[in-house]
Amino acid sequence: MKSWIENLGAFMGRYIAPVVSFLRRSADSTGFGLVLIIRTMLNFPHLFSRRRSRDCLDLCYNYCIGSFLVTSVVALFTGMILALNGGNSLEELGQESLIGPIVAVSMIREMGPFMTALILTASLGSGIAAEIGTMKISEEIDALRIMSIPPIRFLVLPRMVALTLVTPVMTIFAAFIGILGGSLVANSQFDVGWLAFRNDALETLEFVDVFTGMLKSVVFGITIAAVGCTQGLLTRGGATGVGQAARRSVVVTFLLVIILGYYLSWSFLS
Amino acid sequence: MIRLENVHKTLGGREILDGLNLEVKQGETLVILGRSGTGKSVTLRHIVGLMTPDRGRVEVLGQEISTHSQAALLKIRSRIGYLFQDGALLNWLNVADNVGLPLRERDLMPEKQIQERIEEVLVEVELDGHGEKMPSEISGGMRKRAGLARALVSRPEILLHDEPTSGLDPISSSIINGLIQKLHETGITQVMVTHDMNSAFEVADRIALLHAGTVIALGNADEIRESKDPAVQQFIHGLVEGPLGRETSSEFKSDQPDKEESDLS
Repeated sequence: MKSWIENLGAFMGRYIAPVVSFLRRSADSTGFGLVLIIRTMLNFPHLFSRRRSRDCLDLCYNYCIGSFLVTSVVALFTGMILALNGGNSLEELGQESLIGPIVAVSMIREMGPFMTALILTASLGSGIAAEIGTMKISEEIDALRIMSIPPIRFLVLPRMVALTLVTPVMTIFAAFIGILGGSLVANSQFDVGWLAFRNDALETLEFVDVFTGMLKSVVFGITIAAVGCTQGLLTRGGATGVGQAARRSVVVTFLLVIILGYYLSWSFLS
Repeated sequence: MIRLENVHKTLGGREILDGLNLEVKQGETLVILGRSGTGKSVTLRHIVGLMTPDRGRVEVLGQEISTHSQAALLKIRSRIGYLFQDGALLNWLNVADNVGLPLRERDLMPEKQIQERIEEVLVEVELDGHGEKMPSEISGGMRKRAGLARALVSRPEILLHDEPTSGLDPISSSIINGLIQKLHETGITQVMVTHDMNSAFEVADRIALLHAGTVIALGNADEIRESKDPAVQQFIHGLVEGPLGRETSSEFKSDQPDKEESDLS
């Protein structure tokens, strides 16, 4: 009897306790993240101070420059892949004229926001988590609090606003480059003229496609910044902790982007 | 000026402060000594309101701060300077901008006066001419002095030092000690946490030895030096055997979880 109970205890300790601990940590960080978003929104009026707006503009510039090249390359090839795969099937049906609409709608409505969000998560979200995490373990966050400088106003607000602005801009840019890549393939592989590609695409595109894409990109931008800042502020345990915060921010944001992306698409399609 | 009465604090299931009583008089320099993990830094964090006690009272500048609202706490903190172990400078700002940060962010004075105050305080900590350098371009001792300049820039009434000489060579340590003594002459109240016995004996009006979250010895430098208490003798002579034990219990790090973590706005 005793050994059975001991075995159960050992099993619980080894397998159940870590799961419970993980769930508890997840719930804690989710709550922290939601409170962080609300507090950041409450601090929004401070964005109009000269210093915060300058910080925000600097960050926008750095974020755009930092993600420009990788977004361009990924978007170009994504558009080319879409056109190549779609074109092969459509060619058999003699419907090459649909390549333009398929590439344009996919890039603007789904692929553009999704792909840009993943790129920004990996390049900027993890960077924010690592930057704030390093500040946390080197007591710089405490220093701000002691100097009566609220970390939310000083660190989180400009980053969240900058990413919320940069994500739609980079999404539009990615969609444009992707469509350009698609038109290159359509023109070179399937003999679809530039003008025909453009006209077909523009005829099919509706306002709701652009609106859906932009709304998604704004939601994704807020998500990337909120998760990055949350993981950064919850960092503990030295250099390892900073690495874990960066990794967690990427994993959590990827999951949220996919889940939120699905529900946003679903809400617009239904 | 500062009074801690029967302060208890448990972190991560460990009682860090166990009924701590401590008083710091106006203009006094009190040095808190103790082994790692005995609650020295936690004591400083209570004084500045970064932590609240589980039980007991913390009175700073005549006000009970453990029950204060966030807004009231911000006002009190603006009268306190804090020198962190590694300076805690923001690495994307140069030394001068780091020093001027509290003045600019709190809009305490016009830009021209801020510039003058930065120059003044950089001269005070012997960093004039280094204002344009980035934190990564200066030595550890200079980073601490820059941190001290930032702590001093808004003319605090209380200055807290967390291991100001740790990791420094003897010359840099002497420079820091000299600055602390110079500040003492200006009448500022100072609390310093350190392991550095030479530094403690050099700058302290009184020394408190902390063990297991409570003060086990308190007196001026001579009284501590000549104390017959075996715990005091073990600590000041660095003896391996004695009442303080050989090993410290798991050292408390400031990045361990605490409920004040969400105090960000």
